[in-house]
Amino acid sequence: MAAAPAHYSRRRTTVASLRLAILQFMADPQWLVPSMIAPIVFGVVSFELFRGYGQYFLIYAILGAGMMSMWGQTLYGSGWATSQDRNFGTLEPTIQSPSPYLYVVLGRVLWNVVSGLLGGLIVYVVVVLAAGQPPALSNPLGTLVMFVFVMLTLAAVGVVFAAFYVYTRYAGFIQNIGEFAFYVGTGCMFPVVILPFLAWPVSLLFPPSWALDALRYLAIPGYQGFGWGFWGDLAGAVGTTAVYLAIAGSIFRRVERRVLEAGNLSDY
Amino acid sequence: METGPAIETRGTTRAFESRKGFLFREKTRTEALKGVDLTVERESIFGLLGPNGAGKTTLTKILSTLLLPTSGTALVLGHDVTKETEWLRPRMGLVLGGERGLYNRVSGRENLRYFADLYGVPVEERERRIREVLERVDLTEAADRRTEEYSRGMKQKLHLARGILHRPQILFLDEPTIGLDPKSARETRKLIRSLVSDGVTIFLTTHYMFEAEELCPRIAILSKGRIVGRDTVDGLRALVGGDRTLEAEAYGFDDREVDALRSLPGVSKVVSEEYGPLMRLTMRVRTFEATLDDVRSRLPGHPELSVRERRTSLEDVYLDLVEEEAA
Repeated sequence: MAAAPAHYSRRRTTVASLRLAILQFMADPQWLVPSMIAPIVFGVVSFELFRGYGQYFLIYAILGAGMMSMWGQTLYGSGWATSQDRNFGTLEPTIQSPSPYLYVVLGRVLWNVVSGLLGGLIVYVVVVLAAGQPPALSNPLGTLVMFVFVMLTLAAVGVVFAAFYVYTRYAGFIQNIGEFAFYVGTGCMFPVVILPFLAWPVSLLFPPSWALDALRYLAIPGYQGFGWGFWGDLAGAVGTTAVYLAIAGSIFRRVERRVLEAGNLSDY
Repeated sequence: METGPAIETRGTTRAFESRKGFLFREKTRTEALKGVDLTVERESIFGLLGPNGAGKTTLTKILSTLLLPTSGTALVLGHDVTKETEWLRPRMGLVLGGERGLYNRVSGRENLRYFADLYGVPVEERERRIREVLERVDLTEAADRRTEEYSRGMKQKLHLARGILHRPQILFLDEPTIGLDPKSARETRKLIRSLVSDGVTIFLTTHYMFEAEELCPRIAILSKGRIVGRDTVDGLRALVGGDRTLEAEAYGFDDREVDALRSLPGVSKVVSEEYGPLMRLTMRVRTFEATLDDVRSRLPGHPELSVRERRTSLEDVYLDLVEEEAA
């Protein structure tokens, strides 16, 4: 029976995790609320809120509602799934498998990015239908590409956050405390430039702050964000995302070691 | 061909620290394992017995790389469980069992598919192996149902299927037959035996004495974090003073009578227990020594006396050792 041990493959682990995330999503109707119904509600509310606020109100409505519907899912979806692993008791067998948990998280992140984009698309369709016209984007193709990139920056932060869910069952509590601050601080709600200058250094530690500012440059004609302009934002977003992805691997290794020391993998 | 023991622990300890009270300022430390020395031979079934909270699951988790020991060493297949997890994990299987540990919203087959990918089961063999293990645990018909619809016993079988899916060299089974009906439990024991003949080493924890006696050539008994006995079942019987147990029951015995039984040749231990108006004296006796007639002759004046002899069971051994440790 005992065979020569097979070796895990990072790609295969990521795909398996993505596949399981999709299967679990399909099996659970409660997901329809955040992924389908919430974007429609956000789109309608946002359209009504911004109506009458200048010629670019449609863009603000789409960006505001789009970010609102997808940021949480993308940022915390993988952490939440880890929390579910604790509740189901699947964290132990998953950690005990040869595949590093980081790649399991990556698979879930991919699914969260896709479902976040789907939310953004729903918002776009809802707002355009409500307005009866498409928004006058400064750079439509660039905006679309940047939109996807914003999701990736959120996902990069999400991967690092997910490590805390492996580390402790109290990660959700910490997330709830920081959720609103993160939402405001990264410019999901409104541009970071309107926050007090002292808040900038903290905001700029997070890749989405840079990427969202870059997105506004591409979407809103005449937008004035950080003083360094679109290219500065893009370079900052790429740089900070790379840093987050680089530290994610090391954080996961350390966190795994710490939980094996603490012995709290089965706590929920 | 790899040689050396499948498992070797030396002075393995594990302490858990927890905090409670206002602002978590109260720190408590629990020593779950207090220096465990164990050797398990390859391609055998080793049983670990012990009461709840003895440290069985803690030891199983240390050996299966889910927990780090506080001190001491633990080698599995000759490799250090604290440093060589990458080498070890593809070669070991773990069945913790119970209601949890599965993705309940998806089918049993999907659960297996996911873990087959995580364990790197060759893609071309994956479906065949899933079919094979489902058949081995008799879950083929239920394979495509969501696991939330499974009974406890079916979940237990699925845990077992997952544990053997990647064909491990060593399998850790934490109470594998708990929740199974007698027929399924018997089939599971049969499966465990067949795994050993396939070359797998089994490390098994159980509360069922008959199961340990039936399956495990060698057994260790863990109590309060210490190994209080380890040997073959016969060796353990000898450890508690004999492979025969004599029991005498009457309406009360005095100390003199108890001492008289203690002085019989081959009697190592006399324990008295009361059952309502009845008192029972239980004696562990070595083979070919004190007989039922000897006991009767030392207890005159008890017309209601009933004496009987039976083989010392593993349960007797277990209770003797655990009670000694507790005392």
